[in-house]
Amino acid sequence: MTIPSPPTAVHFDTALHLEPALHLDDVRKVYPMGDAEVVALASANLTVGSDEMVALVGPSGSGKTTLCSIAGGILSATAGRITVGGQDITGFSDKELTSFRQESVGFVFQAVNLVPFLTARENLIVVDELGRRTGAPARERADQLLEELGLADRAKNLPSQLSGGQRQRVAIGRALMNEPDLVLFDEPTSALDTELGEQVMELIRSEMKSRGTAAIVVTHDERITHFCDRSVHIIDGHLDA
Amino acid sequence: MFLALAEMRRAKVRFGLLIGAIALLVFLILFQQSLQNGLLTSFVGGIRNQDAPVLVYSVDGQRTVQGSVITPDLEALVRGTDGVGEVGRWSQGTFTVVTGGETRMTGGGGPGEDAVDASIIGFDTEGLGTPSDVVDGRLPTAAGEAIASDADAATGFAVGDVIRVLPGGFEIEIVGLARDVQLNASPTMYVPYDTYLDVIAAVNPDAGTPLPSVLTVRPADGVSDAEVSTAINDRSLELDALPRETAADETPGVAQVRQSFQIIFLLYALVIPCVTGLFFLIITFQKAGALTLLRAIGAPAHRLVSALMIQAALIVTAGFALGTLLYLPVSQQRLGGIPLRFETAAVVLWAGVLTVLALGSALISARRVLAIDPVEATTGTGVGR
Ligand SMILES: Nc1ncnc2c1ncn2[C@@H]1O[C@H](COP(=O)(O)OP(=O)(O)OP(=O)(O)O)[C@@H](O)[C@H]1O
Ligand SMILES: [Mg+2]
Repeated sequence: MTIPSPPTAVHFDTALHLEPALHLDDVRKVYPMGDAEVVALASANLTVGSDEMVALVGPSGSGKTTLCSIAGGILSATAGRITVGGQDITGFSDKELTSFRQESVGFVFQAVNLVPFLTARENLIVVDELGRRTGAPARERADQLLEELGLADRAKNLPSQLSGGQRQRVAIGRALMNEPDLVLFDEPTSALDTELGEQVMELIRSEMKSRGTAAIVVTHDERITHFCDRSVHIIDGHLDA
Repeated sequence: MFLALAEMRRAKVRFGLLIGAIALLVFLILFQQSLQNGLLTSFVGGIRNQDAPVLVYSVDGQRTVQGSVITPDLEALVRGTDGVGEVGRWSQGTFTVVTGGETRMTGGGGPGEDAVDASIIGFDTEGLGTPSDVVDGRLPTAAGEAIASDADAATGFAVGDVIRVLPGGFEIEIVGLARDVQLNASPTMYVPYDTYLDVIAAVNPDAGTPLPSVLTVRPADGVSDAEVSTAINDRSLELDALPRETAADETPGVAQVRQSFQIIFLLYALVIPCVTGLFFLIITFQKAGALTLLRAIGAPAHRLVSALMIQAALIVTAGFALGTLLYLPVSQQRLGGIPLRFETAAVVLWAGVLTVLALGSALISARRVLAIDPVEATTGTGVGR
């Protein structure tokens, strides 16, 4: 197991020539609730380096999923600016956001992650099929990812024929299919026991680091934050970097 | 295509059942279409497929050959009408006949003989009230000869068969077969007018010479069927001249048969989109989680909609093909004396109608797909997690 180095300023210096993977500038998200309002995210400022892994830690309802959804172009912010891999997505239309998600980000969601009627391999290939449609290169990439994730012999299995840990690994592969600038993991280990959770985190770290891809890993479990380069805490929509 | 086919492969039973249901409906539609056409042909084929362009009934006959009688006065009026080219006599009677007589013999019904009711039509001018599509043999020329409908060939009315009319045992030999010339859904024979008179005399020696039932008319050169019909009708309130197709369509009962079948077809046309529409709505709801996920990872909504439409198109195509395949052997059969046919025009028409209906009904589900908000993937509860 690799012990991650503590986050330092050096990290940013080495990545100076690259755009940060994510830049949130005073991002706010307010949900109207009848006459009242729910502030899910209050003036969030966050920069994630181009190959940095950030743990986003906070209690339930603190706004972790909201932040990831905004960073991934699934949800639009009430105010503020969002830049991903140098692309300012703040004013993007629904259509632009769709192709942004297709090309620039990877997601591992808290709940639904796999299409039940597609095999493990097809769950990876579908990213290409409904997107760029490169065909053969995408199939090769899917096979390579499944191999790396230790799922080569499970490629033809449907999600219902896989264990929880295997499903989570397929989801990780799916998130990497489009060679994203940023991967968002929303509680990737919450449904797994401690040992399996650590294995999955280890896998996430090695996949991210070998590719130099940036990631945000949402968790409310302090024990797994040491797999990341640094931790950011969030409480009631307020970030402390 | 990828998504549409993958899903169908994983849910073969479900999609197979839908294809089966559509196939069954298609089979029933096409079968009823054959039945309708067969029924109408056996009813008025003898009018539709004879070669006189215009038929003149007496008004009293209410547009049935059986009920119509043309008196000499009326006949003279018709013959004297401007625009009338040629006029022929056409008489019809229903007789009890015995089939199965391969060789000429006399006396009552022998072994292997069947007594049936048959229509005998006498015509006095070839080409004016004779069958237009002779498929076997020839038109009758000599006394005692007849041409029958091909639909009855298998039941003792083939070329070479001899029919005896009861009572009296007058013998008629079939010398030809014509396509679809039944009248009143019974075996039908066309004989020269003199032979018709001989039959009447043999059956009832006291009857005297019968009047013609209908006059067959060919308009003079340059006069249309409709024009000559109008001209004849203007001569007398007792004359009812109709162009051939109109005469067939206006035969009492034809419109009612058509209408009944149209109601049946309308019901089918409602059931099919209900079945497909509901099916796709249900599966769209069932896989809402997967669709939301796909939208969230960047699948454009229109790609998910096309996957749905591809499935709808594949299913209606497969269902239609299967239904037609079931219909093919059945369409070669006879149903209680009504010959069925493979109705190519109906197959093409219904293929178009059903494709439109099925795709249209799938659009309701397409609206559901378009309404999916990808943000639900971030919170939704586990489907295939
Ligand atoms: N669609 C919505 N409408 C109204 N309020 C919402 C909506 N989505 C989220 N919220 C509220 O925003 C706040 C932040 O929610 P969020 O899902 O980001 O929390 P979280 O940190 O991911 O929680 P958990 O750890 O339970 O997943 C919560 O108070 C939640 O109730
Ligand atoms: Mg959450």
